[in-house]
Amino acid sequence: MPQLTAIITGASEGLGKSFAIELAQRNFNLVLVALPGSSLPQLASYIRKNFNIRVDELEMDLTDADAYPGIFNYLHLTGITAHMLINNAGLGNWAWFEDKNILFYKKQIELNVITPVLLTRLFLEQCDKAETSYILNVGSLGGLFVVPKKQVYGATKSFIRYFTKCLQLELSGSKVRISLLSPGGINTKPELLVMNNKLKGIGKATIMEAEDVARIAIDGLLKGKKEIIPGLANRFLVLLNSMLPGVVKESIIRNRLKLILKS
Amino acid sequence: MPKKILPNRILPLILLTNSANKFVLHRGKPILSCNLSMRTILVTGATGFIGRQLCLALAEQGNRVKALCRNTGHPLLIKHPNITPVQGDILYPASLKKAMQGVTEVYHTAALAKMWCRNPDDFYETNVTGTRNVLQAAADADVKRVVYTSTCGVWGPTLNFPLSEDEPRIVGFPIAYERTKYLAELEVQQFVNRGLDAVTVNPSRVFGEGPVTDSNTVSKMVGGYLKGKWRVIPGSGEQVANYAYLPDVVAGHIAAMDKGIKGNRYILGGEDISFNQFFDTVKNVSGIKHNLVRVPQKVIKFYSHIERVKTQLTGLPPFFLPEFADRLKFDQKYSSQKATTQLGYRITPFADAMQRTVNYLKQA
Repeated sequence: MPQLTAIITGASEGLGKSFAIELAQRNFNLVLVALPGSSLPQLASYIRKNFNIRVDELEMDLTDADAYPGIFNYLHLTGITAHMLINNAGLGNWAWFEDKNILFYKKQIELNVITPVLLTRLFLEQCDKAETSYILNVGSLGGLFVVPKKQVYGATKSFIRYFTKCLQLELSGSKVRISLLSPGGINTKPELLVMNNKLKGIGKATIMEAEDVARIAIDGLLKGKKEIIPGLANRFLVLLNSMLPGVVKESIIRNRLKLILKS
Repeated sequence: MPKKILPNRILPLILLTNSANKFVLHRGKPILSCNLSMRTILVTGATGFIGRQLCLALAEQGNRVKALCRNTGHPLLIKHPNITPVQGDILYPASLKKAMQGVTEVYHTAALAKMWCRNPDDFYETNVTGTRNVLQAAADADVKRVVYTSTCGVWGPTLNFPLSEDEPRIVGFPIAYERTKYLAELEVQQFVNRGLDAVTVNPSRVFGEGPVTDSNTVSKMVGGYLKGKWRVIPGSGEQVANYAYLPDVVAGHIAAMDKGIKGNRYILGGEDISFNQFFDTVKNVSGIKHNLVRVPQKVIKFYSHIERVKTQLTGLPPFFLPEFADRLKFDQKYSSQKATTQLGYRITPFADAMQRTVNYLKQA
């Protein structure tokens, strides 16, 4: 079997880095994309040293219009066909709507919405139709629940949910597998490490380590799962969400909101 | 007559300016003995495994050592004419301000290095807030340099090759000690960016002659083996970790103060050794042969979940936790190449170091 190649966006840190390590362990060649100055070259050379795979690194800002064709032009020139696309790059937030400026929201929507759509479009164009290809769109449980202070982020993830579900229908007859990953909280950035470790009870149970999320996600993607929800507590929440009437859910969220407003 | 004046009046001045000498001469005879190059050094965590040996080494070199400890009557504090116990706590900035008076160099070794703590917030308080307090006090006191004792745990598990300083961590931070030491390193970096001169050292698993405490897992294991109480090899025994010998680590600290590059990190490790090699060496150097049972990782993981429940229900300290059981799936190999090249760091052969450790533990 020929070695497969995976493109990972936002590969230098957090979940993206875990995807890179996970796929390297599964003998995939890698095309890693991340912002300049995010120590991507160090990660790439570390993976090259420890695994017998090809690693290409592309340092670019995915909100630049040239970046999207740039990735695939590079692959075309180097004779690489990608078999897997992990749309992982994204920008989160935890702030009242009026506390962030318009440039932030513009960037957030570009990175969370426009980037995965355009990359998916260009990825499908270069796919080898005879081989199975895989797309993993990183959504969020936030795309399912209405969470205060996550207004734009949650909305972008709802977009990804609709986009992925719809593509699954359109591509159902082809050899393209497309999965939606809906994780709860993940311990990635330093400030999240501090915040998440203050949580108790069910809140704490929804938080997972990036390497576990990555492993579960790739397992699910290769099996052709439509939606991957890592973690028992998170699956329980989704089940609860589908059973509770809208009135009850709204009152829970309102109560939470009161608590947040007080603090 | 000029010839007579020279030895009596000018020579002492010459000696003063070439201040390496200890004696000031008066009419050709020494009148007082003092080390004019004597430095005043603050060591936090002076009763700890590394801190106490560091205090001793610095004191033996003729420095004035202020040993910061919460209890100046602590039994593990080393008594030496050059070591002055200073009462203080890294969580009380006022006590640090006092301790920093006249200090030119600081070694910050104090940390909470246990596997488990009844109050999980203690890890953050001691390791992150405490470090921030020490750095702030050092910056306020215009200290020349701070050497911060971190750990190889900020990288944790490694893949096929020994890891060096610029390489990335490949897993998250479920272990509180590693997480808070990582966050503390970020604090150090912030202070360096603002102009403070600080160097970080990252010892691996440290062992050697010293008190057997909760944070000293290697001595607990070896001591247990010698008494016939430690009878297991985790997993297949093939898992490799890096073991650093205490005197090497202490010398590495002092070299980091003298030769380290501002803002840099230095791995202070030893040899990469598997559990099988580890216990073979302990057997050979001690002459004590016990049969050890290999316990599969999955069994350890299962047992660790029981331990976690026990701890949650009773508040009793766990013997082992799931996040540590997960670690048994990985190697922890580290390269001390950078410290060797830049600091002149030296590694004592593992068998020699273990021989001395075993001799010490047999007497203790």
